[in-house]
Amino acid sequence: MIDVHTHPVQVAELLRDDPALVRAVREVFGLFMPPQPLETFLLHLDEAGIDRAVLLPIDCTTAHGVTIVSNEQVAALVERCPRFIGFASVDPNLPDAPATLEHAAQEYGLRGVKLDPALQQFAIDDPQRAFPVYARAEELGLPLLIHCGMSWAPKGRSALANPLALEAVVQAFPRLRIIIAHLGWPWVNEAAMLAFRYPTVYLDTSVLFSGTPTESLRQALQTSIGIDALDRSLSRQIVFGSNYPRVDPKRAAWAVEALGLRPKLQQRIFHDNAAALLGLGGGEA
Amino acid sequence: MLERVGVQTTADTQAIDVTGRVREIVTASGVQNGRVFVNTLHTTTAITVNEGLEDLEDDLLEFLRDLVPAERPYRHARFLHSDGQMAVNAPSHLRGALLGMHVSFPVADGAIVAGSRQTIYFVELDGPLFREYTVQVLGE
Repeated sequence: MIDVHTHPVQVAELLRDDPALVRAVREVFGLFMPPQPLETFLLHLDEAGIDRAVLLPIDCTTAHGVTIVSNEQVAALVERCPRFIGFASVDPNLPDAPATLEHAAQEYGLRGVKLDPALQQFAIDDPQRAFPVYARAEELGLPLLIHCGMSWAPKGRSALANPLALEAVVQAFPRLRIIIAHLGWPWVNEAAMLAFRYPTVYLDTSVLFSGTPTESLRQALQTSIGIDALDRSLSRQIVFGSNYPRVDPKRAAWAVEALGLRPKLQQRIFHDNAAALLGLGGGEA
Repeated sequence: MLERVGVQTTADTQAIDVTGRVREIVTASGVQNGRVFVNTLHTTTAITVNEGLEDLEDDLLEFLRDLVPAERPYRHARFLHSDGQMAVNAPSHLRGALLGMHVSFPVADGAIVAGSRQTIYFVELDGPLFREYTVQVLGE
C-alpha cells in the first residue's frame, strides 16, 4: 500500500531542534498535538498496512515567512527511512522557484512537487508565478500534488484552492501529472470533472470535513461521484492518501475498505496507481 | 514519590503488562508500608488488572470491540480545532471509559500486595502512539 499524502509535522526528531518549525506547525499549519517519535509515524504506517508514504513539505516563505518542513528535512527523513518518498515544495511567489525545484530533485532526489495555493497564497492559474514551476516540474517529469478545497490551516485561504483553476494548467502542460488532494472538497464534482476530462489528473482520497473518514469518503465517492462512474472512468486516476497527522492512516485505510469496492479497483487505489505515478515499479501490468 | 513512565505502543489496540515496571518503582521508592497508584495520562488508554494470560487479553480486547462498535453515528466525529486533527476516535474513548484510568494496591514490607494471578495492564485503545502513565508510591 502507498500513501501519497502525509505531512511530517509531528516528528519529534525534527521539531526538537527547530523552534521555527514548531512555530510554523502551530501558527501556520495549525496542528496543536504534542510531537511523537519518528517510530510512531512508522508504526502508524504498519498498523494501516502502508509500505511506502510520500512526505509533503510546504514552502510558505513569501506568505508567512516559514517552511512547514524544508526540502532538506524531507531528504534527511528519506535517507533515514527508505519507506518514505520525498516530495519538494517551492514558493511560486519567488522567482527562483523553478531552480529550487530542480535543485531539490537533482541534489536531494525528491520525486514530486507539493503546492498549497491556500497556504502559499498564489493563484493556481497565474502565468507569471505558478506556470514556471509547472513547466519545470513537467520538464523534470515530477508529479504535482496540489492542495485543493477547504484548508484547515489557520492561515489558509480556501478560495485560492478551487480545482477549476487547474484546467488552464492541464491544458498548458499536457505531460504534467497532477494529483488533486482531498478530492477538492467541497468542489468534489469540479475535481472529478477534471479527472474525467483529462487522464493526467488524479484524485487522492484524503477527504475530511466532518464525520469519520469512512463517512466523508462515502459521501464524496459514493454519493457525489458514484462508485460505478469511479470504476468505469477513474479507476486508474485515484490514489490513496491519508493526510496524516490530520487523520490516522489506519482510519483512512478503513474508509477505503468500507466502500466494499471490487478488489481490482481497491488494489489500484491502495497501490497500483501510485506505483505507476511515482515510477516505483510493481504497478499493475 | 511519583514517576512518569513512557511506553511506545505498537498497535491500535494492545494490552501491555506493566507489572514488573510497577514493582521496580515500588522497590526503588524505599516505601515499606503504604499504597501504590498507577494512572494513565490519556483518555484513549486504560489501566486494568487481570490474569496475565494471552487468551484473556484477546478476550478482553475483543469483548471491548463488541461492546463499543467501530461504526455508529457517534457525535465525536468531527474536526477538533484545538488539536488541528480529526477527532474521530469515539470508540477508543468509550472503551477507555469502560475499563477505567487507574488501579491501586497496598504496599507492605516494601512490596506490592497482589494476588499471584493479578497482572497490571496498560491498555492502548487508539495506537500506535508514545504514551505515558504514572506510578505514585505513598507511605513510609
